[in-house]
Formats: sequence, structure tokens, C-alpha cells
Amino acid sequence: MTESGEYTITIATPNDDINVVHDMLEDVWASSPTVSATDRVSFETALIELSSNVIRHADDGSGIHCVLTVGVSDSRIEARLTDTGVASEVDLVGRTMPEAFAESGRGIALIQALVDEIEYVRSGSINHWRISRSRTA
Amino acid sequence: MEFTVQQLGQGTAVVRGEGRLNMVSAGELRETVASTVAGGSARIVVDLAAVDFIDSSGLGALVNGLKTARQAGGDLRISAPNEQVKLVLQLTNMERVLSSYPTAESAYAND
Repeated sequence: MTESGEYTITIATPNDDINVVHDMLEDVWASSPTVSATDRVSFETALIELSSNVIRHADDGSGIHCVLTVGVSDSRIEARLTDTGVASEVDLVGRTMPEAFAESGRGIALIQALVDEIEYVRSGSINHWRISRSRTA
Repeated sequence: MEFTVQQLGQGTAVVRGEGRLNMVSAGELRETVASTVAGGSARIVVDLAAVDFIDSSGLGALVNGLKTARQAGGDLRISAPNEQVKLVLQLTNMERVLSSYPTAESAYAND
């Protein structure tokens, strides 16, 4: 069965929180019933980590405006997230898990374990993030 | 997310939540565990039977609770994680740090 579609929401902090991304994905999965449980769980975990990272670190206190688009095709699931926040200083190269008793610092390494591609570009005053996971059988 | 606390026996308590353990609810879990330990129950089980999602913020709250409980001479264990929680524990190498049991009642049954 061919299954493809794009879904877009906007997120405006501080009024919106990360639960709007969970709610969006519930709609995406409901419209994409052939996406496997493993792909759903893996992609949702990665996207929540990415979105949380943006909400937590890109906001300098004045709030940020984000546009999140999730695309499902027969071969992959992709998310593109743009935000008006401050530039990210995150290092995407060679991230490893922190020591066992660390209370933070696992998000980016976790995303990298769950998706095939993660990209970040700063263009003008906008941050552009993209993650992509190839669908498993 | 609201957390409930149930005493299982002297010094042992079950903390239960429902829904998503993410950056919105992680702080509440930290506070609930801290106040439960301060109230004299340092052996904590966080029952995840009704938790359908955890992220690294939620994981950080569990680690915080583990440290708080151990500093008070106790421990923090988890029960009934779903497949998503197991995946996150596995990918973050936290399976050996956060001991998992099938039910809250079994977490300290052999201590």
C-alpha cells in the first residue's frame, strides 16, 4: 500500500509545550497505519528529543516560534523543524552517552541512535533542523 | 502528569504516573521522589505501567531520584516499563543502573 503525507504544526512558546508534538504524531500515525511500531517509537523518541532541545535551548526568554513538518513516504519518515530562537551551539559530531549518573546530556546521542540523518543549519535568523529515519520492513 | 505515592511497607513506596514522562512532567517526578524520600521512604519503586513514553528529561528525573534515594540509604527501581521505555534504557546504557522489575510489588520482594 502506498502511503505518504505531510503534516505541519506551529509551536509558539511559552504557550505551547512539547505535548503538542506528541499530539501531532498521534494524528500522523493514525493516518499512516503501515508504519511499524518500531519505526513509530524510534521516530517519536527522536523528534521529542529534538523538539525539547529546541524549546529548552533556543528560547532566550522572549519565546520562540517553530514550524514543524513531518513527512511519511514509503521509504522514510522525516521531520523538518525551523525556529526563530538563538543559534544552536550543539555539536552533532561524535556524541556519546554521558556517565551513568548524569542527569542530562543524552538527547543528541539518543537522536543519533534512532535516525539515519540529523542536520542543523543556521540561515539568517532561523534555525533549520532535519531528521530522517529509513522505514524498516 | 500527576504522581501518586503508595506505601508498600516500612520505608518502601511506589510512585505512579500516567501518560508521558517528558520535559513537562520530569520536574514533578523529581519533586515527588524527593519529598517521598524526605518523608522516610528511601526505597522507591517508580511504577511505569501507565507511562507510555519517556525521554531523556524523564530519564534524568529517574537518575536524580536514584541519587536522592541512595544518599538516604535506599534505592530507586522501576517496574513494568513498556517497549519504548526499554528502548530508551537500552540505547542510553541505563538498563544496569535502573533495575527493572515486572511489577512494583516484586521490586523489593527479595531484599
